[in-house]
Amino acid sequence: MGASINWVGLLTIIRREMTRLLRVPIQAFVAPWISALLFIFIFGYVVGGRISQIGGHSYLEFVLPGIVMLNVVNAAFLQSSSQVYFARFMRYVEETLVSPLSYVEMISGVLVTVVFRSVVTALGILVIAALFGASSVAGVGEFVFWVVGVAIVFGLLGNLVGLWANNFEQLTILNVFFITPLSFVGGVFNTIDMLPSWLQWMAWANPFFYFINGLRHSMIGFTEAPELLGIGVTIGLGAVMFVIVWRLYAIGYGLRE
Amino acid sequence: MCEAPSHFYILQNNEPTIQAMTPALSISHLRKVYARGTVAVDDLSLDIAAGDFFGLLGPNGAGKSTTIHCITGISTVTSGEIRIFGVDAVKNYREARRRIGLSPQEFNVDTFATCRQILDWMGGYFGMERAERKRRAEMLIEKFDLVPHATKQFRELSGGLKRRVVLARALIHDPDLLILDEPTAGVDVELRMDLWRYLQELNHDGKTILLTSHYLEEIERLCRTIAIVNKGKIVQHGPKNEFFTEPGGLEEAYLRATGATPERIAAAAGR
Repeated sequence: MGASINWVGLLTIIRREMTRLLRVPIQAFVAPWISALLFIFIFGYVVGGRISQIGGHSYLEFVLPGIVMLNVVNAAFLQSSSQVYFARFMRYVEETLVSPLSYVEMISGVLVTVVFRSVVTALGILVIAALFGASSVAGVGEFVFWVVGVAIVFGLLGNLVGLWANNFEQLTILNVFFITPLSFVGGVFNTIDMLPSWLQWMAWANPFFYFINGLRHSMIGFTEAPELLGIGVTIGLGAVMFVIVWRLYAIGYGLRE
Repeated sequence: MCEAPSHFYILQNNEPTIQAMTPALSISHLRKVYARGTVAVDDLSLDIAAGDFFGLLGPNGAGKSTTIHCITGISTVTSGEIRIFGVDAVKNYREARRRIGLSPQEFNVDTFATCRQILDWMGGYFGMERAERKRRAEMLIEKFDLVPHATKQFRELSGGLKRRVVLARALIHDPDLLILDEPTAGVDVELRMDLWRYLQELNHDGKTILLTSHYLEEIERLCRTIAIVNKGKIVQHGPKNEFFTEPGGLEEAYLRATGATPERIAAAAGR
């Protein structure tokens, strides 16, 4: 196998997926921005106005990182799962299977679009939040790490589900039963010590807690867990997911007959 | 005529002759078993000489498309070896695939993409630079009379136009081995004739072509070497003229090789 990278091939996958993504701007960007606007308005502005400060920050500032993270996770998962599933469903995945592209190039092509969609979604929410006076980013590098890192983790998870799913119903199962519930109990709206003591251990076992906590630290400097632990969890999950997805591509799972 | 071929044919003075050199395609003991246990290809061996126009005939479910899918990487191989111009198509798949162009039986296209995008993207997957992609795409768009349809989405095209786009896509990277899985299925007579002429031109220019078809006339007209596949095995194989040394020609040979009843063979002979 030639070891050199097929850059033109990789860029072509990215161009193709960007073209597909930009065919549905309302679904991809406007929908999460409206959803975030409603969250910010109701929970942050209306309800939050009656809640005292948390760690020296307004409730809106406290919940905003969670709202951003919810949408980053959704954007990443939906982008990659639908991208991979539709390529299989419409069979145009065969175009890449018959061409001299490596599995790493195929996976990277998916992930670049995932990161693009997630970053644009996150930036749009920050702009909306700025209208309500809450969009501070204390550490830009850290903010970028959390948005991009979590997008990659869920881009890989979505890729896996896109390979596994055999119908549209299966495509949504993980989102409905795991991603949404875990993200909501991962500290979007509350601190860990607000939870009943018997439930607090669950937060520490929930990776969403580290993602939200990390992003919150990058935005307002508030944290409930050691930074390095969260970074380690994210990089570890990303590495494990990448190896799994790469292996599935290599054996042709869901791709080849 | 032979069974279980271990050799292949090359043209000399326009006549196929047995030769030993690196074939364009060499399949050795290929076996493909699907997950549910269906044996689609069973110990199939085949060599196609560089420059040959090779016809693969067989009834539905004989294993023709599965063989093609194994060659091109759409299917995994259960066992056996496939070499493209001497390169292992599994171990060195990137190098092997650079030399193959596939026009599949079923349309495997992003139906919302335009003709021009389909060709451009495929050229990109093969690592072609922008200027080269554009030049080849425009040449093929013109060659296949797709100029008025170049900016239309694939789903907006008629069956014949879709077939042309898929064929043009197979040629975008100028492959040495062109694999055509029933390229004229659902195509009207006029376009079929045009395609035949174009395929003959391509073969004349040095491209090796592997063609599967249900149309005996198509195989008879275009191919120099023919193999008949049935139940995943090659049951008859040889230069085209050998099929015509027996009474009944290709049609009878096909019916006999695919296990047709004597009554059916007799009926075909009586026509």
